[in-house]
Amino acid sequence: MENNLVIETVDLHKEYKRDEFQVIALQNANLQIHKGEFVALMGPSGSGKSTLLYLIAAIDRPSQGRVRVLGQDLQQLSDKEIAHWRNEHVGFVFQTFNLIPVLTARENVELPLLLTNLSKKERIEHAETALKLVALSDRMTHYPRQLSGGQEQRVAIARAIVTDPALILADEPTGDLDAHSAQEVLTILTKLNQEHGKTVVMVTHDPHAARYASKIRYLEKGELLPEGSPPPA
Amino acid sequence: MWKYVPFAFKNSLRNKRRTILTIASISISLFLLGMLVAVYHAFYYREAPPEQALRLVVRHRVSLTFPLPEYYEQRIRQIQGVREVCPVSWFGGIYIDRRPEHFFARFSADPERIFLVHSEFKIAPEQLKAFQSERTAAAVGKSLADKLNLKLGQKITIKGDIYPVDVELTIRALFESDVKGSDYVMYFHRKYLEESLAAARRGTVGTFGVLADSPESIPRIAREIDEMFHNSDSQTKTESEQAFQLSFLSMLGNVKLFLLSICGAVVFTILLVSGNTMAMSVRERIKEIGVLKTLGFTTSQVLLMVIAESVIIALAGGMLGCGLASGVCLLLSGAQLPFMPLGLPMPPVVLTISLAVAFAIVFFSSVVPALNASRVPITEALRHIG
Repeated sequence: MENNLVIETVDLHKEYKRDEFQVIALQNANLQIHKGEFVALMGPSGSGKSTLLYLIAAIDRPSQGRVRVLGQDLQQLSDKEIAHWRNEHVGFVFQTFNLIPVLTARENVELPLLLTNLSKKERIEHAETALKLVALSDRMTHYPRQLSGGQEQRVAIARAIVTDPALILADEPTGDLDAHSAQEVLTILTKLNQEHGKTVVMVTHDPHAARYASKIRYLEKGELLPEGSPPPA
Repeated sequence: MWKYVPFAFKNSLRNKRRTILTIASISISLFLLGMLVAVYHAFYYREAPPEQALRLVVRHRVSLTFPLPEYYEQRIRQIQGVREVCPVSWFGGIYIDRRPEHFFARFSADPERIFLVHSEFKIAPEQLKAFQSERTAAAVGKSLADKLNLKLGQKITIKGDIYPVDVELTIRALFESDVKGSDYVMYFHRKYLEESLAAARRGTVGTFGVLADSPESIPRIAREIDEMFHNSDSQTKTESEQAFQLSFLSMLGNVKLFLLSICGAVVFTILLVSGNTMAMSVRERIKEIGVLKTLGFTTSQVLLMVIAESVIIALAGGMLGCGLASGVCLLLSGAQLPFMPLGLPMPPVVLTISLAVAFAIVFFSSVVPALNASRVPITEALRHIG
């Protein structure tokens, strides 16, 4: 493995059964992402971009092929080991924020830290630092229902980075946001990439959002198009 | 593990109305269960007071309505370990009228021995002497005297029903006991009753109260008494006083089965309520469970948190229900309750059983939905619309 190779997929293939139909979600995807890159995965609905992201995050298992992330062959890990690995190395941002409604912004951000050995005081400190980084230090005790969509997504980003992961995966992070909030979120992701050295992989079908990435890879009908390919028609 | 508790606690309050209703239904069920287990415990597991633990009751083997020959007393006395024997007959009768407030236990007994066998009764020596020396004297328990406003020297008439005679008595002694309610009774001279009866009905006794020298002797004495009269016309059944009192309870039917059936129904109800609540609560949060697993929570950690929520609800409902049951038992501690001479105590073991039942029920009712939810693949959970 090259020293700065963060993600490497080899002939990655995913198919699943929906009712009586066998659906090929991804086929023979070969992808290499290096440390410090900000890559956008683009493609129409059903092209397999989210599937690829889920396989990289080990949220799903491939039908065939190999995924190596941060030097770790994910197939070799048990479900429990994968959970620990994900908590330590991957920050995930969802399209619909997915904050826990009964917890405050700070408690939501603190959630992944419950899995660490940090003390309560340290967990609070880390959560507050992460919230400051996304400029929400004045909303720490607010519940998700008391926040705007953009603020919720920023809390979700704080939750994704609170464990200081090397890799941030974002699945349509601006899909549910207005233009202004989307720009704020994309600016934060860019800042995390450029100033904090995080490798960012973002799924989007918004060309404007993709412009923030340093590299764009396109997918079409489950196939990852070669690097430098033009967007599918 | 404890660091998950605040999260589980907040989750348990997610839908406040549902949580409050669930806690209320569990607490009412637990209140009922606690009361029933307390009654069951009072009937079948309470320890006899030290004096009662030394007493046996000898009665006719066939039925309490059949009398025993008076001369059995002398033969029972010969058995090793028997310290005292007192013939006692239930007189029944009517005091004033048949209203329940005028009903109490009335026995004809040997005045020289009744307070030897019932040594827990405290009686002033001069009153005891007055009771023993007057043929028509009666000794009345203090709680009975207080309730019916009976005074020393007062004359009362008990109209016979089982026995075809009316007895006119003068209250000469008042006695009391540390065991609440056990002195709700009246004794009068057996000789007085005997002399009032026709010759054909004399010479018989309802029961014999036997005082043993030690609780260890009780089974042997009971066996020896029954063996002694095995070949006679009037066979005996000898049992501890506690067992004798419980035999009245069995006349009502299979009380044990009845109580256990209601307990079973209560337990089943909590199971349904809790199972339904947990299933609903978990189903609504499948997506969140997917999020938690994405953040790095393992299947077992998610399972633990969901179960912890239900345990919190169970404990809240359980403690409330058990608290209510304890309060009611406390209120009933001074009341005269049938077959419960010691009132209705709520011993710690009953509370522990009730809470354990609540805990177990809620645990088992939440395990299945929690297990199902925690096993849903993350991708499926994230797509779930709850």
